[in-house]
Amino acid sequence: MEFDFSPLLDSWRFLASGLGLTILLSITAVISSLILGMAVGLGRLYGPSWLKSILVFYIDSMRAIPVFVVLVWIYFAVPIISGHTFAPFWAALTGITIHVAAYVAEVVRAGLTSIRKGQSQAGLAIGMSSSQILRHILLPQAIVRMLPALGSIISVTIKDTAIAAVIAVPELMRQAETLAGQTYRPIEIFTAVMVIYFLLIFPVTRLVDRIYIRVAHLGRS
Amino acid sequence: MNLDWSIVWQSRWLLLEGALVTVLLTVLTMLIAVPGGIVLALMRGSHFKAVALFATAFVELFRNVPLLLLIYWAFYVMPVLTGLGLSPFATGLVALCLNVSAYNSETFRSGINSIRKGQTEAGLALGMSRSEVFRQIILPQAWRRVLPVLASTWVSLFKDTSLVSVIAVGELAHTAMQIRSQSFRVLEMLTAMAAIYWLLGYPQAKIVDWIHRKYGVRE
Repeated sequence: MEFDFSPLLDSWRFLASGLGLTILLSITAVISSLILGMAVGLGRLYGPSWLKSILVFYIDSMRAIPVFVVLVWIYFAVPIISGHTFAPFWAALTGITIHVAAYVAEVVRAGLTSIRKGQSQAGLAIGMSSSQILRHILLPQAIVRMLPALGSIISVTIKDTAIAAVIAVPELMRQAETLAGQTYRPIEIFTAVMVIYFLLIFPVTRLVDRIYIRVAHLGRS
Repeated sequence: MNLDWSIVWQSRWLLLEGALVTVLLTVLTMLIAVPGGIVLALMRGSHFKAVALFATAFVELFRNVPLLLLIYWAFYVMPVLTGLGLSPFATGLVALCLNVSAYNSETFRSGINSIRKGQTEAGLALGMSRSEVFRQIILPQAWRRVLPVLASTWVSLFKDTSLVSVIAVGELAHTAMQIRSQSFRVLEMLTAMAAIYWLLGYPQAKIVDWIHRKYGVRE
């Protein structure tokens, strides 16, 4: 078995453009999932009961349906219903966000309910409104406690962006597939791309762990 | 828009077969990846530096790359490494096992580490051997912390099996995508696929919640 890494040197720009799109998709997906997940988590905890039951149904459904299925459904089936076609990037961003936000919502809920009841009661007793209690007492502690779980959600999100390759988003995974098909060097290319993904994801996971170790004391009560 | 849902009913046996392959993949992967995870966790705690380093590298690599890439990689690398022409099913199984073993190893390691050192020392001071301490003191407490996490991993794995469809393993996602491209009933088949995953996955997610409530350890 001989290895030939020259296709990588010849086409590094092609892969680099894919890496750029992977990073862009990861960052936008993480930000939109955090925002949507925060809103869903708060709605599920403090919303009116009809909203709560809808959100619980949404969260549990996303825990049951693979992100692959969500992506192909949004990309292939939504245009049939709505009559509008999505660009692959937007379909991927929407699908990943809808899926990951459900997990973020669960983390937000677990973080907020982990703060002892006595603290909210103390806030009420000194005349704070419930939104003041949420902003000044619960969230500052809960966010610290959520960090490890959010860190793993971020790394899962980056890994999930590779699934966008199945709906032809030209991100790193898709570019690797294309290049492997053109050069007949799949082993070299997929191994190299594996290293690239590792170098992208591993530091993110580690960074969040580091930050958590430094701020963990702020979450104790 | 004209929809024809009869295609779903017509292909019910194919879809059922696909769903069975999905379940089979999930069960087989977990059967291999639980012992695999235990072995990796023990290797990481080994006194032999080389063994511990190998296990750490294995776990960190396979946890930190996308599963889809791992599946493609296994598809091209496995035949070269083993010299065998593996079936898509076996290739998909290998990729899933590599990924889930790495996850499980972290689960077992943190479960074992969560038991305070003082307990091991107390056992040793009483004259118990290391393996007695592990089996009689650590494991009975650690499994309560490990079980809920394993249950969550189970559901993730069930969903992740859909990714092996890219190398033509005839599980649920691949079967549904095939029928979609042959019948051109895109909306109907994709919706049926989502509905079947939901029907299978929803109860599993609820069981996981129940396991978390029953066995979860509160600090």
